[in-house]
Amino acid sequence: MRAYAAVLGILFGLWAAPAYAASPDVEDAQRAELERVRAKIANEVQLTAYDLVDEMVLGLKTDPVFQASTPVVLAGVTVPVGLGTGLEALVENHLAAVLGENPRTNIQLVHCPSCTAVVVHSGPEATVLSRGVDDPAVLAELGAGSGKHALFVDIEAEGTWLVLRARLTRLTPDLPIVWSRTIASSTSTPALLRDGTDLKSAEDARKDYLAALHDRGPITIPVRLGVRAYAPPNDSAGVAVPPFLWLQTGAELGSSDARAWTSSLLLGFSFIPQAYQGLMLQARVSRLLTGRARSLTHPDLYLFVGGSVMTVWGPATAPFQADFLTADDLLTAADGDSPRTTLGTLHLGLDLRLGNRVGLSTFLETIPDRNNSDNFGNYVRVLGLSFQTLGTEVTFCF
Amino acid sequence: MLLVVLGVLFLPTLVHKDPAPGLTMSRARSRTLECERMTAEIASRSYPGQVRPSRPRGEYVERSALVCAERLVRPGLRTDQDAAILYALDPLVNDLTASAADLHPELADHTWLVEAFYPSGQVSAKLSFAAKNALAERGLQVSDRTPTLSAGDVDVLTRMEPQEAYPSACRRYSDNGSLRAGDALLAVVSRDPRETILHAGLCTDGQWSWLK
Repeated sequence: MRAYAAVLGILFGLWAAPAYAASPDVEDAQRAELERVRAKIANEVQLTAYDLVDEMVLGLKTDPVFQASTPVVLAGVTVPVGLGTGLEALVENHLAAVLGENPRTNIQLVHCPSCTAVVVHSGPEATVLSRGVDDPAVLAELGAGSGKHALFVDIEAEGTWLVLRARLTRLTPDLPIVWSRTIASSTSTPALLRDGTDLKSAEDARKDYLAALHDRGPITIPVRLGVRAYAPPNDSAGVAVPPFLWLQTGAELGSSDARAWTSSLLLGFSFIPQAYQGLMLQARVSRLLTGRARSLTHPDLYLFVGGSVMTVWGPATAPFQADFLTADDLLTAADGDSPRTTLGTLHLGLDLRLGNRVGLSTFLETIPDRNNSDNFGNYVRVLGLSFQTLGTEVTFCF
Repeated sequence: MLLVVLGVLFLPTLVHKDPAPGLTMSRARSRTLECERMTAEIASRSYPGQVRPSRPRGEYVERSALVCAERLVRPGLRTDQDAAILYALDPLVNDLTASAADLHPELADHTWLVEAFYPSGQVSAKLSFAAKNALAERGLQVSDRTPTLSAGDVDVLTRMEPQEAYPSACRRYSDNGSLRAGDALLAVVSRDPRETILHAGLCTDGQWSWLK
């Protein structure tokens, strides 16, 4: 009992330690964990900043400030105090790229060294040291009629919010602000990662997503290429069955747009010259294992069960015919005079679907009629059923 | 038996995730979180899959969700004053600009200029940017012009008490022509490095007045 209490005491001590102990190892571990989280957040800050820039450009595209293409100097991009200038360069590059990809904003980015460089201007009243865009006297000298504007962008972290402020200033000595915008986004919201050439609002992106889900329709046409490998016979008296290649097509039906349950009916054909030919009718029911609805972005795994009826003929199909083959049977089959064999099968397997377009599956199949055949071994035996066939398939859905 | 007693003792800590400091959460870690309590309905809409929506026939207990997110900037990365000001930049600046616009409706047709007086140049630029945007979004005419003072003026003004310095600077802006008739200068001022609020002053036609 005392030992039991001691163990509990030690466990309690270990468990309570992180909150109070000042062990340097624990502190280092906590610091390392915090830094890992910080790195993740820094990445999220960058993506959220991109998102805000995309939102701003989308606003300029849907409601342009200028009626015609106007030269604009990217006068300044500033990032949250405390974050590095690397982020400044990333945001500046992204902004330039998105504006370049969206000419309908009527903003034509131009380079103006006199505007962005720090210049010294001496007049009768004072000597002013500033950037060109900040000094009306310099702007007057540059020429007020150039029609240039300056775009200023500031991004700041306010608690858990990232706030983007932007303004456009006409580069005349009076420096009037002609447009301004403030946009905020919480970093706990995932970034939309919009395509720069086809900017969309969050609402439109969601509509597109739902449309993509709905447009898939309940029926797809799969084209499947599969190979069935039969287990070699357990003793030397049996004759091994060669692998069979199958090309199948038909229809796959989803019970709803979520496609958590699907069923399919496929017609298959197999043909290897001088060896075998075959026809197959296959039905299958699949259940989605990964989630409640098919994902457009992640692979989906299905469990399926099904059955098929196949009929095969040709010299290489003799092992399907009887439990025990004689030399006479083999010679008859080789002469191309083999009878047709019809079999029923049951199968069970897994299907990995990628983007609702490609599927990779593997399955085990049993031929109950040939459970005790000398020509078939088995890969697995469950509840008295021998699974003699191992199949793999590649499916393309249309 | 001891195990059961200990289990009961620590059960609340194990089953209830609380962002408040305690056995499983240090004070430093708690301070990095910003939490907001919301109803289960709003939370289930904002975080589908993470918060279960209310049952159609109601719940036996009142449910709410506490949504916590980590602050973007690590504590200690900014000075305390900068952190406090930048944390509430939007409400602080909106408050100041609202005071200026609401207390002086006669200046609606003026061109507004903004100047920030803050110890850090970087934060000062952000205050000025935010104030200009806030004024522009209130429908006022705003300019990026910055009124200037000569080196002699600056030399004299920096040796004066703040109560005298700001009105004097306002007069000099008007006298040297950098602040014209029809211009209104909104000055965003931090008067003490220990303060976590901002003050605002208004300069028009050489006359200075404190707004806040």
